[in-house]
Amino acid sequence: MLTRFHLELIFAACVFAIGAVGLYGSLELDTGWASDGPQAGFFPFRVALILMVGAVLVAIQAVRARAKLRPITVTDHAGMRRILWFGLPIIGMVALAQWLGLYAAMAVYLLATIRLGGRRPWHTSLGVAAGVTVVTFVVFEWWFQVPLLKGPLEIMLGLA
Amino acid sequence: MLSNLDSLMHGFSVALTAYHIMLIVGGVLLGILVGVLPGLGAPNGVTLLLPLTFTMDPVSAIILLTSLYWGALFGGSTTSILFNIPGEPSSVATTFDGYPMARQGRATEALTYAFLSAGFGALVGIIVITLLSTAVASFALRFGPPEYFAVYLLAFSSFIAFGGGTPLKTIIALALGFGFGMMGTDTVSGAMRLTFDVPDLIRGISFLVVVIGLFGLGELLLTIEEGPEFKGASGRIDPREILRTAARMPRYWLAMLRGSAVGVWMGITPGGPTAASFMSYGIARRVSRNGANFGKGEPEGVIAPETADHSAGTAAMLPMLSLGIPGSATSAVMLGGLMIWGLNPGPMLFVEQHDFVWGMIASMYLGNVIGVVLALATVPLFAAMLSVSFAIIGPIIVTVCLVGAYTVANAGFDLWLAVLFGIMGYMMKKLDYPLAPMVLAMVIGDKAEDAFRQSMLLSNGSVTILWSNWLVGTLTSIALLFLAWPVVAMLLGRRRASRAAMAAARQGDAA
Repeated sequence: MLTRFHLELIFAACVFAIGAVGLYGSLELDTGWASDGPQAGFFPFRVALILMVGAVLVAIQAVRARAKLRPITVTDHAGMRRILWFGLPIIGMVALAQWLGLYAAMAVYLLATIRLGGRRPWHTSLGVAAGVTVVTFVVFEWWFQVPLLKGPLEIMLGLA
Repeated sequence: MLSNLDSLMHGFSVALTAYHIMLIVGGVLLGILVGVLPGLGAPNGVTLLLPLTFTMDPVSAIILLTSLYWGALFGGSTTSILFNIPGEPSSVATTFDGYPMARQGRATEALTYAFLSAGFGALVGIIVITLLSTAVASFALRFGPPEYFAVYLLAFSSFIAFGGGTPLKTIIALALGFGFGMMGTDTVSGAMRLTFDVPDLIRGISFLVVVIGLFGLGELLLTIEEGPEFKGASGRIDPREILRTAARMPRYWLAMLRGSAVGVWMGITPGGPTAASFMSYGIARRVSRNGANFGKGEPEGVIAPETADHSAGTAAMLPMLSLGIPGSATSAVMLGGLMIWGLNPGPMLFVEQHDFVWGMIASMYLGNVIGVVLALATVPLFAAMLSVSFAIIGPIIVTVCLVGAYTVANAGFDLWLAVLFGIMGYMMKKLDYPLAPMVLAMVIGDKAEDAFRQSMLLSNGSVTILWSNWLVGTLTSIALLFLAWPVVAMLLGRRRASRAAMAAARQGDAA
């Protein structure tokens, strides 16, 4: 079970890592202060430092308040399950979209989540998946003329 | 000020075309939809619509986006009252008394109070804008880079001083925003910054994708975690009850004025609608004669947060238009839109883009009046929509968010970014990191840096230019004071605490 204490530490570690990566990136630039003021790397360097110091302080605060933070659960097992059931298909859709394009990925995602996750009957799942995809296609490609990511399927159908 | 009224009349002539009224109605309806649906809120509703406005005329585009904003503010209250599920973070405070009222069968009454007081709050905010914006803008016309930097600094540091939440976490949120905003090409030197030789990062990270992740996907994860079930009071509306409630409205004039004052202040200083509504609710509970009834279905407990919420939402447009500094996350997104449409936000707008500024201000009057009417009229429709299971609505909202993230720059890479920021937004929300400062820092962080570096070019690298005249000196000093505020407050608090302890000790002696 995930407690508030652990999540504080996890996020502080993420912030620290972001800061460290930023620090590394800013060192490729001039981080100094020349006669015309700060150089390109001046602010990135200091923002990265602030992030790292801030992350350490948050972690220290969390450790000092651990007696109070430990009993607070961020989410219970049921909540965690729901998040994973909801979140993992999103990642799947994004991965699929890189390869098949947004429309196909959207249709597969909607069909899968509504049928498997939501346990709706086939006709509802198919109807929503097809309906949303077609409406999106019409609105974006024809109405607003904003082309979305397309894949081999659209090329095959002659829509791309 | 009279010339402002002339300008406003001119603005109405711009806004009162059939096309623009259609945009207002469409925008408000879309906004209510966005406000009603959990996971879609004003900031990312505006973000999702933004790419579709790139080809529009700027006046029409801003009218559409601001109308969507008003609609979202109204829509958020509907679900708060009927389902105890705030559609918007800024309508959380409305649930405290709105939902108890609905459960007592007084849903129509609660909704009418909410919408009418919201409309009142919005009106106060717009009147303030109408009267003050030109004065602020003409004052700001004298600003040079040092003054601009000082004002930006003031905006950031007032988040730390007044944003609520722990100052340390606000600082981290701001720094994250600055950091992500810096990625890409450096506008002063032309160098590539923090791109790590990844081609997709050369464009930088768009704040629009971040907003969709933080406010859209992150919010959805929060909603799904709690296992949303829309079990609510009936959304049936009785027209006669609306009139009776409206007739009782004037009784609460003090609560409405108080709420509006809190809202206008929080909207102009970048506190935003969410902080404003909580603050107004808290103040009302403390000072109201009916304070003891708060939380049990007290109309004042609906009126106080709603007026503040909307007056903050509208007042946030004042610094955005006249200074180029957004007062809320949503106006930060609109500010980004202004830049994309080729306008330069700030005081020059009032000189160069007369039609745009006053057309927008006039449309705010129309949009909010139309908003009150449409919000009341569509309650049954949107309440019925929520009876569709979240197992179907949730995934549809996800696809809308991801399609929106893609349209920002036509990049598949941005889909991954949106997912990452969604996870980040979930964690930040859980740990009480404020999200608005992060968005604000991303949108105006590089402008602040440019202003600072331009000032340093003027002064040959000497920071004393930030105190070179009384105006910039005062602004910088106040900003630094705000920045140090947590430390000052801690010291003051410690002194007060020790004094209280001493007083208690003395009392103990006497007893």
